[in-house]
Amino acid sequence: MKARYLTTAAAAALALAGLATAANAAGKWDGGDDLATSPLECGMGPAAPAAPMKYDGGQPTNAADKAGKEIVVVDVPKLIGIGYFNATAKGIQDAAKDIGNVKAKTDGPTEAKIDEQIKFIDNYITSGVDGILFAANDPVAIAPVLKKALSKGIHVVGYDANSTPDAREWFVNQSPFNGIAKSMVDAMAKETGEDGSFAIVTSTFTTPNQARWIAEMQAYAAKCHPKLNWLETVEAQEDNNLSFNQATTLINKHGDKLKGIFGMTSVATPASAEAVTKAGQCGKVAVVGLATPNAMKPYVHSDCVKSVVLWNPIDLGYAATYVMRAAVDGKLKPGDTSVDAGKLGKLNVINGSEILLGAPYIFDKANIDKFDF
Amino acid sequence: MSAIPVPRLALPRAGIFRRFASQEALLALAVIGLAIAVGFVNPRFLAYRNLADILLGNAYIAIAAIGMSMVIISGNIDISVGALIGVLATVSGSLAVAGAPTLVAWIVPVVLGVLVMAAQGAVVAYLRIPAIVVTLGMMSILKGGLISVTGGKWITDLPQGFHLADLNLLGVPMPVAIMVVATALAALWMRYSASGRAIYATGGNAEAARLCGVNPQRTVVMVFALHGFFAGIATLVYATQLRVIQSTTPPGLELTVITAAVVGGVSILGGVGTVVGATLAAILIAEITSALVFVNISPYWTDSLRGGLILATVIADIVRRRRRASRGRRI
Amino acid sequence: MSVFAASPGRRVPKWLARHETLLAIILVAALAGLGAFNNRFLTVDNLLNQGRLMTEIGLIALPMTFVIITGGIDLSVGAIVGLSAVMLGYSWKTFGFPLPLAIAFALAVGGLAGFVNGFVITRVKVPPLIMTIATLALYRGLAEGVSQARSVRGYPEWFYGLGQGEWLGVPTQLLLLVVLIVIAGVALDRTTFGRTLYAIGSNETAARFSALDVDRTKVVIYTLSGLASGLAAVVLVSRVTTTRMDMGMGYELDVIAAVVLGGTSIFGGAGTIWGTVIGLVMIQLLKNGLALTGVKGDATIVVIGVALIMSTLIASSLQRRRE
Repeated sequence: MKARYLTTAAAAALALAGLATAANAAGKWDGGDDLATSPLECGMGPAAPAAPMKYDGGQPTNAADKAGKEIVVVDVPKLIGIGYFNATAKGIQDAAKDIGNVKAKTDGPTEAKIDEQIKFIDNYITSGVDGILFAANDPVAIAPVLKKALSKGIHVVGYDANSTPDAREWFVNQSPFNGIAKSMVDAMAKETGEDGSFAIVTSTFTTPNQARWIAEMQAYAAKCHPKLNWLETVEAQEDNNLSFNQATTLINKHGDKLKGIFGMTSVATPASAEAVTKAGQCGKVAVVGLATPNAMKPYVHSDCVKSVVLWNPIDLGYAATYVMRAAVDGKLKPGDTSVDAGKLGKLNVINGSEILLGAPYIFDKANIDKFDF
Repeated sequence: MSAIPVPRLALPRAGIFRRFASQEALLALAVIGLAIAVGFVNPRFLAYRNLADILLGNAYIAIAAIGMSMVIISGNIDISVGALIGVLATVSGSLAVAGAPTLVAWIVPVVLGVLVMAAQGAVVAYLRIPAIVVTLGMMSILKGGLISVTGGKWITDLPQGFHLADLNLLGVPMPVAIMVVATALAALWMRYSASGRAIYATGGNAEAARLCGVNPQRTVVMVFALHGFFAGIATLVYATQLRVIQSTTPPGLELTVITAAVVGGVSILGGVGTVVGATLAAILIAEITSALVFVNISPYWTDSLRGGLILATVIADIVRRRRRASRGRRI
Repeated sequence: MSVFAASPGRRVPKWLARHETLLAIILVAALAGLGAFNNRFLTVDNLLNQGRLMTEIGLIALPMTFVIITGGIDLSVGAIVGLSAVMLGYSWKTFGFPLPLAIAFALAVGGLAGFVNGFVITRVKVPPLIMTIATLALYRGLAEGVSQARSVRGYPEWFYGLGQGEWLGVPTQLLLLVVLIVIAGVALDRTTFGRTLYAIGSNETAARFSALDVDRTKVVIYTLSGLASGLAAVVLVSRVTTTRMDMGMGYELDVIAAVVLGGTSIFGGAGTIWGTVIGLVMIQLLKNGLALTGVKGDATIVVIGVALIMSTLIASSLQRRRE
């Protein structure tokens, strides 16, 4: 019996600790990180060009001169077997075909675990590839193994999720965090009205990109849509059914107060749309989020979801491969301001060592059927 | 308690029904008590719609836990069930999209589930490899194989008729109806049929079971086959609930199912337990997850509270069983 | 005692019939095969590097062997890795502990987490699987709550020596692992403590009647399991230079796979540290060798699954034939 009291006491203590932390963290949206934010200007105006920065990437030591020769490149995404990274892998293959002298292969862990990802990269360093493309599960944890690759003369280019800059040469940025945040929050404000209340369904609080977006969304909302009311953020892994259950719980908990749900992943957004549909709340609860078009088609066609925010992941993989080739050929050197990316044209260098893919893309009823990924 | 514990498996048989009843009662009490407590904080929790959604969204876990509890009662364990459900869902969805008749898309995964699990059961029973090794290996095979074959491509554009979970049976949503019927049938069968009792005998003491005329090997294969059957049924509910099928294995599902089975009062040493308890435990765990959102706990602390509550339930149950056991001994 | 020791070895020497020996033969054959395909596999550099990568799992596998020999199990090890890693970062950054103290604190928390497992398992008589499945959720949740899902970075340079440095060309943490393997092996093989573990696993009631302190032994091994998980967390943080609350997720299955592949019976009473080491090396090198030979990750997982079942099958059937 004593054990039961002990456990109850422990649970109570935990609850208190939880409440205390909640009080401490008041004023901060759950799931955001603590890094500095840089919200964009309100309204439609074009973003002011950022001040040019000095190159801050790393360089491979004693890389073999493979300019113009065939190179073997391996792509290690956060995880394999999800729609998003299937699309980037397709872009990489497309680019390899267009360029001609690149042999590319995608391989990685089946779950988004940084441990596993490090082992994959380590194995490919040993097996002797010419270049590594990566999307990091953790920006800092991945740095030692990438630096090891650079030290062995292997070219390293990131895309989708960055590492610390000195651990890779270039990073292809799909769209700056503040740009995505602006698109998402503007879309939400338009659908719910300026004083609507909304909640967020994210993957986990430790996923770096999602945490960054949430922090930037908060900063932008505070600046441009101050009356928007954030209710809460829930975690749902990358799990379809859990996302659906969590979104349903939000709808049931907040009732009429809930005017919108943000889906922060390509899993959470369609599952939230399904939850809204099943609850008969289409038109009353808006769903705005990052998602791939195929999974969203039914909801966009039924007018339950007005717009889906995403860059084109195929283009992202395509650009990363061109950047890799250009870095190997010496056509993209520290200090350059743009790079040629095949059918995508010229892409600009920003933030010292990042290549900007472009503005986020909005899928809606008119154009969603043109995409298949 | 004296220094020497009562071996759990040697409890007097006469008390078995009483112990079942109170085991289930404790969980039922926890389910209701939690609902009322959360209802005080936020009355919306008690809305019919919310309670129904909790059951609907988690029925597949409860159904899978039925088979899992049988496997554990027989003295084995299965770690491959999450991966298997992922594979079966993909097979079912692919068939439906390829234009197979709906009934085929529903039946094939169940049959496949029975076959895969029966094969594992045969390896466990006849080749005498521990179940944890076989099912751990099978989990790897299914997980890796699924991604190799599908590349993780989502299955979309499922035909309307495929969505079994959207149907109603006499006004009750299909997932809940299946959960209730499956639990009731399994519980009655476990309690009253000879082959059902053979599972307890095998798990309690395989050698003694053999002497009583039970074939432990055949029983283990049967248990795994049944587990495969319930995994197949769980897949139908799981796969037909949403408009897309992910073609990957649901992360950590095996652990959720095993947790439901053990919290349901199934002793991991085999021999004692109840499928009704497993279903109730699955509902309780789902209820806790939802309740923690309703009472405005900081989301950073929800996981530890869920762990704490599961631990509290388990300890309360063990303490209650132990007190009953020592009382039984005094008589 | 173990079933192996009881087997009559009239025609074949006893050591040849042991699971570990058979497994070692399978391992050597597999390595030779993979080495023939790829000249980068069997190099000193690669093998040492693989040793570095498998150290965390290896550290935890040692006490896990003890636990499984007694017929128990510990599923919470991965969660303890996460909790200890968070405690290391949190106490250093937020409490302002000097790093050596923070490391000691992380180890203490790991040991405490293991002690709580052992205490409740022996006092309240909660079966180990149930207890550790519950604390798996609890400890991981605590890691998330305490850290508020924030990472801790920017440790001083000297700290990375443990996870990234080397000593006489050998990775630092591999040396640590080797020392602990020897200690654990000797403790299991040559001491009363080791014999107590086998006695508990073979027949717990008999062990109690033989006046062995079963409960205290169990508390000790679960505490060791927590302590080793804490140590693995420190090594891991040092190797990857950052702290995350989701560190060690899924380790429990990797550790258990290594231990059972090494011939430790999940039913208790049999098993050795040497077997566990062979199991550990086998899984790590198989994954590495396949990757270097050009097999992709998803296919590698399938091969590992098949290897796990087949090698147990071959070893146990060969052994049965010889008996």
